[in-house]
Formats: sequence, C-alpha cells, structure tokens
Amino acid sequence: MSHVVQPLDQPSNYKDSQARVDRQKQHELLSKSTTLYIGNLSFFTTEEQIYELFSKCASPEEGGGIKRIIMGLDRNTRTPCGFCFVEYYTHAEALACLRYISGTKLDERIIRCDLDLGYREGRQFGRGKSGGQVRDEHRTDYDAGRGGWGAQAQRLEIERRREVEERYADAQEGPGAVAGGGEDWKQPEGMPEKADLKRGRSPDDEDESERMGARARLDEDAERM
Amino acid sequence: MSYNGGGGYRRRNRDHDYDRREPVYESPEQKLRASIIRLGEVDGDQELPRLVEQICETTPINISYLSESVRIAVTEQPYKIPYYAALTRLLHDKPSSGEDTTATSLGRQVLEDFWKGFQAYLDKLSWRDTRLCVHFFAHLTTAKVVSPQSMFDLLKSFTAVLDEFGVSHGRAKQAALCAVEGLIMSGAEIKAKTSANVSEITTSIQSYIESIGDNKALVQPTVKLYPTNDPIETADEILEAALAAVQILNSSDFAQTSDIVLQPYTVSPDFADAPFDLPSVLVPPEVIELDALSTDTGEDAQVKKEEWPDYYVRLFDNDVTPDPTTPVGYAIRAGILDLIDIFEINRKECARLLLEFPKWLPHGTFKPRPGAPPQEPVAGKDWQLESTVIETILGTLFLLPDPQHKTIYYIALITELCKLSPSTVGPAVGKSIRKLYGLLADGLDVALASRLIDWFAIHMSNFGFQWVWKEWIPDLDLSLQHPKRVFMRNAIDFEIRLSYYDRILKTLPEPMQNPDNRVVPSEAPGPDYEYDDPARPHYDAAQTVLGLLRGRAKAEDVMSHLESVKNSLETTDSDTNTDSVIRSIAVQSLLHIGSRSFSHFLNAIERYLPLLRNLASGSISTTGVSNLEARMDILTAVSDFWSHSKHMIVIVFDKLMQYQIVDPTDVVSWAFTHGVERIAGSTHPSLSSLQWDVIKSALNKANGRVVIARRKVSALRKEADEKAAMAIVSNGTSMEVDTEVKPDVPEVPEVPEPESPALTTALKAFATLTREQKAALSRTLDGFVDCLASATNPNPTAKTVISENGWHNRANWSEADWVTWGTWGWYRHFCRLYSPYLRNYATTLGTVSFAKVGNAGDPAVDTFRKIWNVTTGQDV
Repeated sequence: MSHVVQPLDQPSNYKDSQARVDRQKQHELLSKSTTLYIGNLSFFTTEEQIYELFSKCASPEEGGGIKRIIMGLDRNTRTPCGFCFVEYYTHAEALACLRYISGTKLDERIIRCDLDLGYREGRQFGRGKSGGQVRDEHRTDYDAGRGGWGAQAQRLEIERRREVEERYADAQEGPGAVAGGGEDWKQPEGMPEKADLKRGRSPDDEDESERMGARARLDEDAERM
Repeated sequence: MSYNGGGGYRRRNRDHDYDRREPVYESPEQKLRASIIRLGEVDGDQELPRLVEQICETTPINISYLSESVRIAVTEQPYKIPYYAALTRLLHDKPSSGEDTTATSLGRQVLEDFWKGFQAYLDKLSWRDTRLCVHFFAHLTTAKVVSPQSMFDLLKSFTAVLDEFGVSHGRAKQAALCAVEGLIMSGAEIKAKTSANVSEITTSIQSYIESIGDNKALVQPTVKLYPTNDPIETADEILEAALAAVQILNSSDFAQTSDIVLQPYTVSPDFADAPFDLPSVLVPPEVIELDALSTDTGEDAQVKKEEWPDYYVRLFDNDVTPDPTTPVGYAIRAGILDLIDIFEINRKECARLLLEFPKWLPHGTFKPRPGAPPQEPVAGKDWQLESTVIETILGTLFLLPDPQHKTIYYIALITELCKLSPSTVGPAVGKSIRKLYGLLADGLDVALASRLIDWFAIHMSNFGFQWVWKEWIPDLDLSLQHPKRVFMRNAIDFEIRLSYYDRILKTLPEPMQNPDNRVVPSEAPGPDYEYDDPARPHYDAAQTVLGLLRGRAKAEDVMSHLESVKNSLETTDSDTNTDSVIRSIAVQSLLHIGSRSFSHFLNAIERYLPLLRNLASGSISTTGVSNLEARMDILTAVSDFWSHSKHMIVIVFDKLMQYQIVDPTDVVSWAFTHGVERIAGSTHPSLSSLQWDVIKSALNKANGRVVIARRKVSALRKEADEKAAMAIVSNGTSMEVDTEVKPDVPEVPEVPEPESPALTTALKAFATLTREQKAALSRTLDGFVDCLASATNPNPTAKTVISENGWHNRANWSEADWVTWGTWGWYRHFCRLYSPYLRNYATTLGTVSFAKVGNAGDPAVDTFRKIWNVTTGQDV
C-alpha cells in the first residue's frame, strides 16, 4: 500500500465498452484478471516478440507463465491491427506488466498494458468501421508502424509486411478458433501413475547410465531410504 | 480508448489536478496528512514551523491519526526522516491542548503512539519498516528527545538476534542492518551521554560475519573456482560494508555523522525535559509456516529468499561514486536501496526521486546538476549522482542467486532514468556496460553474464538499438566460446528476439555482420523443416503427413496414416530406426503447420494432442508404456525444426510440458544429452546458457506445479476446517443457554472428518508432483556429475580450469576450456538457486548422484562436493 505515490498496477479507466457486465462485476473480474490488453503495437510486431518481452514478467516458479497470446486482427483483412491480449496463468504476472512493461518500448513503440476482463470469442477482431481498431479510424498522423497513411511505408517495413499479411490469412472465427494454451497439471486419466511404470534405478546400474538418455528415476530409491 | 503516452498515472502534488473527473473532498485531517507527507518538498527548514502551526490549529487533534501520518511518512519516505524527527522535536514544545502547559506535550504523545506502530512492524517482522523506524528513533536520540541509553538497548536487542541458535541469514542480516544504521545516526549521542560500550554491537556483527564462511564464495559476482583468501575486489558484501562503515565512525566517536545525514533538528534549543525512554523489546521469532505440507518422504521445500550474503558489484572508482565501506558511502547506498525497494510500485516516480536524492543529503555530497550554479567542491565528496544511482541499481540487479524483484523492474527503472535525463544518465549507463563487459574476461559469474545480456538487449530495445559495437571488433579474435564472444552472440540473438533480424543487422559494423565471424546467424531465425527438399530422405512420406495436417484431418486419420507409413518404411528401410523417423516426421510436420506464430503453434498441437500423447508413449495409434526414447525423439525433432531459433525451442518445450506431453525431467535429460552443443575438442557434455535456460524452465515448471498443488491442498483444508468449525458452532447453539462449564455435559466427540474426495485427489497430486520435482532436480544433479565429476569418465578439463594456474592461463584457453568453465558456473548457479529444494532432498539426491562421483583427492571431485555441501548446508 502506498500513500505517497500512485502504484502503476491500478486498473486504468480503460474498459471494454462491449462488456455485458456491470461496473462492480467488472471491478471484481479485474481484481483477479490474468489477461492484459496490449495497445499501440506496430502492425508488424509478431507474437514471438511479444512473448519475449512479456516472458520477463512471468513467474513459472510460482506456477505461472504465458498461457497464450491472441493477436488483434483486422476483421476484414485478417491482418494484425495493433493490439493483442496476453494471458498469463496468474494475476500477479499481469500486475507486474503494468508496473514494469506498460509505457516501455516494444518494436520501438511505447506500448500500453491494461488489465482485461478476459478474452471472449470475437474480441480478437478490430471494431473500427474499416475492420481495424477504432483509434486508427480517427488518426490523422503518419504512423509507419500502423499502416502509415497509405502505401508509402518504408522499404524495410514493406518487407516485413509481406510476411505479416499472409500470416493470419487462415484465422478462423467461432468456438475453438483460438487455442487455450494448456491448463494446469492434471493426473493423467486412465493411466496408472507414471512413477510405477518407470523402473527405479539404483546406483549400481552403471552400465545403463553410460548410455546417453538413460536417466535416474529415483522415486523407488527415495522411498527405500 | 484514450491513450496518453505512458500509463494513466497522475502525480500527486502536481498541477495536473485540473482534469480530475470528480472533485475530491478532503477533510481537515486528510489535509493535515497530505501536508505531513509533503513536508520538505520545497524547503524543509522553512516549512517546519508552518506545519507545526497547522498541526496545532487542527482541533480537536486525533493523536493516533497524527502519529500514523508520521509513521507513513517515515516508512515511505525514509530520505525525509531527519525532517520528521525535527517535526517531532518541535511538537515537544507544544502542549497538547492550548492552555494547559503542564500536560504531556503533543510531541511526546505522538512519539508514544508512534512506538505502538513500531512495535506492530516488529511483531510482523516487517523489517524495512522496522529499520526505518529505528532511523527515526536514532535521529530523535541525537535531537535529545529519546534517551541514548534506551536507544542503545534497542540496538542491542537487534544484535541479540545474531546469537540465536540457527538464525537464518535473512533474519540476521535484517537485524544487523537495523543495529548498524541506528548506530550510525545515534552513535555520537550514545557515546557522549552513556557508558555504553558501542563495540559490543560491532563485535557481535563481526563474529556473525565470520561465521558465514563458505557461503560467500558462491555468491560473489566474479568467480574464483580455486581456493583463495584474497579479498574480492569487484564487489562488497553489505554486512561487511556496514560493519566497516560503523567501525570507522566509532573510531572517531562518530564525529562525521553530520557529514553523512541532515540534522535539521540541531537548530532547536536543547531539549530540556526528561527524554523518552524507548521501552525494551524482544525481536519475535520467525513465523513457522503453518500449512507446510510434508510429502510421503517427509520433505517439503518452500523457497525463502535472502538466504545468501549480498555482494554488490562495484563499477566506478571511489572518486566517481562513494566507497560503500565508508560511512558516507554506506549511508548513500542504503538510502538509494530503500528508494529502489519502496517505489517498486511506481518506477517513474522512483526515477524522479532518485534524481532528486541529493536534496536530502548534506550540501556538496554530489556534483551540482549541469546548469545549476557552480558550487565549491567539498573535499572527498563531489560524487556523480547518476553513476552512483546506476551502480546501486545494477548492484541490486546483479545480486546472486536472484535479485529481490524481477530483473525487468531494474531494467525498466534504468530506462525511466534515461528518459528523465538522457544526457547525464546515458553516459553512466554506457560506462557501466563497458565495465561489466570487461569483467566478462575476468570471471563474471555466468548467471550475471546472462542477466547482463537481458539488460543490454531490453535497454537497447528502448533506445533504438544504438550501441557502439565497433569498439568490440578486436574481441572477434578471441576464442569462439570466450565469455565476450558469447556475450556478443547472445546479446544480438536477444535483440533480434525483441526486434527482427534485418533491423539488428543494420546496427552492426561490417565485420560483425559477416556471418563468418559468428556474431550473427547467417539468416533470420526461422523454421527448418527437414522434409522440405525432395532430395532429402522420407520426403514423400513427410509430404503426405503434412498434407493431412494441413487439411485438418482428424487425429485418428493421421495416426492410421502414420502407421501405414511406418509399415512401409519397415519393409523398405530395415536399418533405420523407423520409430524415430516417424516421430520426427510427425512432430516436424505438426510444427510446420504451426510455424507462423506462437498461436498457430498452440492451435496445431491442441488439435493433435492425442497424436502427440501416443507418440510420447512410444506408439502411434495406441497408448503404449512410458517411453523415454520417444520423448527424447520428440524434443530432438523440435530442436531440429527450430535449430535457427533458440527462442522457439524454449517456447515449444514449455508448452510440451504444459500439455503434459513430456515431463520436466525429460527436458532436463534432453538438455544434458541430445541437447548438448558440439564444441570443438570437447570430450564431455557441457552447458551453454541455452541449455541452462531449457533446464531452468523445466525445473521452474516442476517447482511451480508443486506450488499450485500446495495452494490447492491448503485451500481445501481451510475450507474443511471452516466447515468443521461451522458444524461445531451450529451444534453448540442449543447449549448456549448455559454458558458456565458443566462437567457433566458430554463433549462433542472428536471424530476426524473424513477427507473430502477433492482433498484426497489434491493430496495425491501433491505427492506425485513433489516426486516429479525431486526427479527433475536429481536428473539435473546427475547431468552435472556427468559433465564435471564422473567416476567412470572423468573430465580432465574440469580439473584444469578450476586450478589457479589454469585460470591465470585463460588467455590461451580453448573452446572446450571455456565451456567447461561455464558448466562449473551453471552447476554453482543450480546449487545456489535451488538450494532450498536441494536442502530438503539432500540426503536422497546426494546419495544417488554422488555414488557416481569420482574419488576424493581429485580437485574436480572435491570442488563438486564442496559446492554441493555448502549449498545444502552440510558440514564441509
């Protein structure tokens, strides 16, 4: 708690204008949210670039990590339109991004992070009239990273664009279009516990350990000791 | 959506208030608190009397609110503590209620209430708050408001902690810092007014420091693997620095204190009334984790940080930044460290406050800002603020095994500083990078070299990738595995991850752009599908599989097709391992359809999870028995496919673990065997930072799963307890009428509630996962044994690189020498980073792995054992 300065990880006044839950409910969801809305991305920024930066706020040792990234796409052209969602496994990781990443650069643009209510189907698409983000409808400046005014982007950017434009051509709509990213660990169904299947190994198994790939499974040894 | 260029925060006390949506009503009390918090922002000395007036005018005054305000101000703005002490001193001249001058003064009431708050911090072992309150009392001692004897007794109760049996290092360190910092600020008064023996405190700390012993060598930023008694020159340990500083002060009877900290209260006339006697305290024992779970073998590990000595790396000379082993140097660093820690919640404010830090120090401590009126340099001071701040931040970032906050916090903080004052902070950053780069040749710890790369790449990404690479061109003559070469290669790889290949290539001078010099890869990091070329074996078979996957064929159809491919391969190609070929084709084809992006990859594997599961179990269309070789084949297929992108290898492995296709132990195993880089002239496996990243990600996955499982069990137990308590309450309601104890009333029988099925499942999962955690750690230890200390296949290089002569001959080291030295570094890092877990599993892990270790007397074996023994807390 701070009385002297405003912490950076407070939810901002951004909200999903199409969310169908009341303010209090929204607040409650945000206070547990593991999803971030990322804005002001270049249209050319890839998910791997995003992954690299946002993995710096991941806490796998606490059971966290990046669950998935959902790239915001132009509804019509199926090309990135400058925003995405990053979903973590824990709320703390999302908050860390607000403190350490929001307001810093990715791909040479200052990006902005906001807690999000959580990805819902259909939200991966831009809501502007032309298919992209609403903000790009009204933008009057020249922004090479977000499509410029027209086609006169820099040479380098054209190269990148070629790849990017095809990348999401296969983007689907509807249920199941977006992968989940993997849930928490579960006991494998219908399988005996793995530990029983793998032969325990004792220190005198020297010959076997010489072969590359042989490895210690010392569950049994552990139990014996 | 509104975008305002960088986080929608708004500064207090600034003139941005016009755009507040709603006018905020402030009560007189809230106004008072705001004034207290703001004290000193313009001119502390002038504001003090006004603030005292404002406090006296607030009637009726709520003492506890007032003292809470001071407590907040003290613990959140430690740089202003001298002013809060001065305020409290002035309030001692004010009667609590206008006329009655005999009543207890306002100041004394505030102090008495403040003490209660301090006691609460101490009870919670909220160390930073406790220590900052000690600062406050120490200043009040110098202001003669607090009795020096009681101050000394307070400091002594902190050093008493050092004598506790089995005290943890974190606790001892915090307690010692309370004592030292309190003494720095109040020592003069204590020595002048009491017969107390101040050396009792320094002796106590000294003997504690001497008891740490072997732990120290494992966390020094520059590594010496041979036994040596030479003091480390590149860094200083915080307790040792604190002790040195206070010893210097003590030898001069604390004459320099006013040189170190502001003492605005000294202008007040001497306080004539009886001073406040701080009550005596006892530092409460550490809380024992109540919901600790034990595994079936009675072991449970919970990570506790701060258990290692803190070595802060030094980057500048003593005339540029103050020497932290001197009183003033120590005090400055301690002040900066507190700022960095407290304002972690808002790095932008933190950066601003750091650059304003000189305001809270005696005049002349730092050089004036450019443009400020020139000042006569104070002899022995006149340091560079920005270099001092950057050195301290990097010192914290480079603590081993892990910094207190996430690496990215310190990186982002430096970015903010550079944005605030590019012309002064920029050069300090540049010099720091060069200094650290230089240390790479002199044994900078591998974990720190990795952290340096992380910082470098992210920093450059925020500042247009502008670095003068040119100056490092001569280092291209060094061995390919020399830490400087590794740095260049990996830093560029990390820059490319954050940006893209062509962009980064443009920032490099010609010799570095040339792929022959092995600084940049010859092409952008992309997929490498083995079956793309019709000339390659199994091209046709792979294409048919790829076709099915592209057409989104059902998993079963793909499986039956793979079966038929396998059968035909077996008839035509009897000498190849058809199982391995099938796995490679299937996995690479799957990665191929998912190669466009991380999401495409997730979609591809989610669609074909049943196929992957079968492959991992050793068969195609049925679930077979667990098969290690199959899982190694899958991981190898991934690393073949992404051989140009180390980044993707780590990402894909992570998700394969997440989807439980492979175990963390498999990944560790792979990294030590199939994943080992081929190094010219090397006879043994070795670890590079990529392999370490893979291993770390696997171990963290295993540990993280245990954390989740433990949380789940705790939650379910709590739920069960609450249910049970509710049941008792509702049973008890009927008996509420007779509250007296009636011996003849039968007690509620203590039938243990049967475990809920959910709890049973959760406990079983916990047991399974701790077993897997242990297996992963064990496999890692085994891997290191094979690299460095195997009995049956000893590594001669492992011996030479740790000898003193060997190290001094490093200018002539081969690639194999360097990677072996690096492997030693990762082994040390593994041990210290995971030491809480390793400690718990020490007996079982040690017994199994050390059975394979060579005989004592071999320097490699002895070093290997010693590192293990130190990190697991066993007698050496």
